[in-house]
Parts: sequence; structure tokens; C-alpha cells
Amino acid sequence: MSDAAIRTVDLVKRYEGASITALAGVSIEVERGSFLCIMGPSGSGKSTFLNLVGALDTPTSGEVILNGRPLSKERNLDAVRAREVGFIFQLHNLIPTLTSIENVEIPMMAVGVPRRERRQRAVELLGQVGLSHRLSSVATRLSGGERQRVSIARALANKPALILGDEPTGDVDSKTGDQIMACIQEARKQSGATLVVVTHNPDVAKGADRMLHMRDGVLQ
Amino acid sequence: MLILKNLLRRRTRTILSLLGIAIGIAAIIAFNAVARGFKASLDRYMHSSGAEMLVVNRAAMAPEYSRITKEEIDAVAAVPGIEHVSPGTFTIIAGRVLQKVKSGTKLKFLTVFGRVPGDRLVEKFRPGLDGRLMQAEDELILGSDAARDLELKRDDTLTLLNRTFKIVGIYQSDIKFESAGCVVPSSTVQQELKMGNSIGLAFLYLKPGADWKKIRDSIEERVPNVAAIQTSGFTQYYNQLDYIDWFVWIVSLVSVIVGGLGVLNTMLMAVSERTREIGTLRAVGWSRGQVLRMILSEGMVISVVGGALGLLIGAFGAETLIQWAPRGLDTRYSVLLFVQSFGIALALGFFGALYPAYQASRLSPIEALKYE
Repeated sequence: MSDAAIRTVDLVKRYEGASITALAGVSIEVERGSFLCIMGPSGSGKSTFLNLVGALDTPTSGEVILNGRPLSKERNLDAVRAREVGFIFQLHNLIPTLTSIENVEIPMMAVGVPRRERRQRAVELLGQVGLSHRLSSVATRLSGGERQRVSIARALANKPALILGDEPTGDVDSKTGDQIMACIQEARKQSGATLVVVTHNPDVAKGADRMLHMRDGVLQ
Repeated sequence: MLILKNLLRRRTRTILSLLGIAIGIAAIIAFNAVARGFKASLDRYMHSSGAEMLVVNRAAMAPEYSRITKEEIDAVAAVPGIEHVSPGTFTIIAGRVLQKVKSGTKLKFLTVFGRVPGDRLVEKFRPGLDGRLMQAEDELILGSDAARDLELKRDDTLTLLNRTFKIVGIYQSDIKFESAGCVVPSSTVQQELKMGNSIGLAFLYLKPGADWKKIRDSIEERVPNVAAIQTSGFTQYYNQLDYIDWFVWIVSLVSVIVGGLGVLNTMLMAVSERTREIGTLRAVGWSRGQVLRMILSEGMVISVVGGALGLLIGAFGAETLIQWAPRGLDTRYSVLLFVQSFGIALALGFFGALYPAYQASRLSPIEALKYE
């Protein structure tokens, strides 16, 4: 139990005056360094689960325990997100006017990494995801697959213990999707981070240590 | 990095709000420079008389309404410590009644100084004089700006106050309204304005070592009808000049508010358009404070650049406009004016961006990421 990267205890999330229940009591443990894939249709609550685990949102009741520390006791969730969590979004969410390097530097700016160090690490990470030739390209000039690779490098910027992917292949074709998942897997292996991906694409689940289904806010 | 790129991506909007600030600041600089120039001209005029003090009618709101009788002047002259009294009158003639005035001339009016021939106030025009000083009742000396605009030269004649004067000299003065004026015998002005033996004001030259405060008290005790003031305190004494300051600041304030609204609008739109990006920044760990500082910094960059541009446009604009303005106006700048104006620009950027920055910092990362 002590080796769980994530533990959730009876996690409940209700929206709009409690009339919509997105999560209906989810309790789960995720082993450190493992790859968990959660599948389910749209509206099943899987993104809500990811947002709660990633300290982007707070639960209506229940608890998220990250690396042994309950998030409800954390005074600064911004710092948790900056240092311990790396997000990969479906729509990559890069800042369109910034270059690949600058986009990767953004999370490091949040924790005050010096400029030179930031730049060096961004170059390393972009090399790791195969974008050494696109370092100074502005985000809008990158292909969909390249943008997602930049967002993978950005997720790894502060060496997080936890990488969360919300439909990371949802916006690209299946071939590019396979490459992106291979890239994420490789990054996880190199960093030793725990990976949780939510998707409705069965191909993404290939290579997962564990796969769960979510329906109506309940894990099955 | 982010701040400049954010501003440059909406170049037109950034430039427009920057210009809004610049024009507001330029208005402050230009209006103040002209208003201060006017006051500075008056101060220099007073200083150029060489007199330490002057007396005016206490009840007159402005020097042009001041009347002091001969008996009162005699009483003032008898006060111990006063070496010499120079009486003066003046009036202003509308440019349109002057002969030879071409349409479009900058000489909208001619200031007529009534002086006693041979007096110190006339002697001061001797340096740089083309011709001689006036001696007879029908002679005058003309300022060089007035001479140029009226196309008059020495030995020509000029008709004003129902008389034809011979121009016996053209004088130079670095005081604009004096250079755009003329000096005639005081008695002529007294007759034409039906002043009797009264004059408008009198300049007092004190004996060496005399205490001006004691002299002031002594004058005001003997002649209750007059106020004795230091020539250097002239613009402070006539506090209706303060109305000019107020007018200037009110006009400036309006320009500045427009500039501030420009920044507010730009930053509000920027925040609205970048909601999703701000959500991303928050999701990857940026704190509310960091987002707040980013938006505030963008506003400050606009205000620093706009403010600096405004200082340049203001000074350049005032100098250009003064060339087109009627004769007699001057400009005066001070470091304080530039500092105050730049401070206003900074405040505009800060307060204009504060609310948008606060809005941005309050965005929930989840809601912001969902924003379409």
C-alpha cells in the first residue's frame, strides 16, 4: 500500500447543484511506475477522475492521496501540479505564438528554474521525443503529431512522478497515435514515472500494465 | 518572452492602446508646457523690469482692471526704502483693427505698454534696439515680432488708440508677448482709456538692503486700496492663473481616462481570447499570482512604451503647434512635468490591466481548458 503512487478513497464529484454525478465513489490504488489505462465512453467520468488525481479540481467528497500525501491537506495545489504532475491533453494546448522550446519551458517557469537550465532541459526533452529538428518552430507551424510530442516533452519538464494523459491520441490518425503512445511509453520508462491514460481508443490500452473500464462514474 | 509575444501577436490592438496612452500623455505635456510657458513669460517679464516689487489695486481681479490714482502713487513713493517708482499702464488692441494686417497673420492682438519716456522701464529696451527710444507723445517703439507680422519698419507709422504714431525704434525681447507688443507714452493710454491721472500698476525699485516685507506693510498701511507684492510672486498673486492649471489638468484627465480605457479594453479582450491558454498555464502549475503578474506586465509594457512615446509627441507637438498659434504664447517644460506624466502613464497601465489581470487569475483551470 505504501508503494502506491495514487490512491483514491471513495472519490465523488457532483456538478451543477449536485444534480449531475460525474464520479460516484471511486477507490483505486495505482502502483508506482505502472501504466494504468482507463477506458470508457464520453461522459463516463474518466476525465473528471484524471482532473481530480492531477489536482486540477477538487472532489465533492473522498480523498486523493498522491505519493502518500492527501491532496486535501495540500495548501498549494499549483505547486503539486507544477512539480508532481505532467499533463498531456487531447488538444495538446500549446501556446500558439511560442516555439517548441518555449512551450516546454512553461512549466519550468512556474517553479523558477533558471533560464539557461530551462533551455538546456527543453532541448534535451525535445530531442528525447524526436523533435531536435523543430526546436525553434512556432507551435502553429507544427503538425498535429509534432504538437503532441511537444506537449509530451512539456509534461516531462519538471520530472514529475505522475504523467496523466487525457485522450492523448484523440486528435491524430491511428498511425500517428501509435507513434505518440510509443513516445509516451518510452518517456515513462526513462523517467520511471507512473502513467495514467484515459481514452476510448482500445489501441492505446496496448502495453498497459492494467486496464479498467469506467461507466457512469464507477470503475469496473 | 511570453509578455512581449502576447503583445506582438495582436499588433494592431497593442499599437492602438499604446497610442491611446501616448496621446493622453502628449496632451498633458503639451497643455502644461503652453500653460507654464505663459506663466514663465509673465515671470520673466516681471523680472526683466529690474524692480523688486509692484503695487496694484487690491480689488482688481486681474492687472488689466487695476487702477491706482496719482495721489496713491505719491503716497507709495513716499514710503522709506523705495528708491524709484515706475508707473505703467497697458491695454490690448485687437489685431483686426490694426492697419496692414493680412488675413492669416499670427498677430491676433497687440499688447500696448504705456510707459513714461526716459523711465527705466523704457530704458530696458535699449539693448538690441533698431532706432531710438520714444520721446514725444506721438512716438512708439515696436516689438520685432509685431513689426514682422504687421510688415512695419522703423520710421513707418502705426495708427492705434485714435492716434498715428511714428515708429522710432524696433526692439527685441525674448518674452513672446512683449515682442508681439509696442511701447507708447503712458499719457496716451491714460487719455484714450479715460483713466484721468490714474495708472494701472507701478513697479517699485528698492534701496539697497531694504526689507521688502516692511515696505509692503508700510505701503498697505498708508494706502489701503493697493496691494504690494514681489515681482517674483506675481503669478502666484493673481490666482486666476490657477484656473488655467485646472483647465489644463481637466482636459488632460479626460485624455488620460480615454487612454486608460484603451488599456482596459485591450487587456480584457486579451484575457478573454486567451482563456484556454491561461487554463493551460494554470494546469501546468502557474499560480494565480504568476498569471496576474503576466497580464499586469503586459499592461505595464504598453504604458511604458506609450508613456515614453507620449513625452516625445507632447514636446514635439507643443513646439510645432506653438509655431501655428497666435503670437505671444510660449512653452516651458520641467523635469517634474515629465516625471509626473510618465508616472500617470505607468499608473494607467497598472490600473487598466489590474481588473483584467484579476479576472485572469481567478479563472478555474478546468473551466478555462474547456473554453472554446
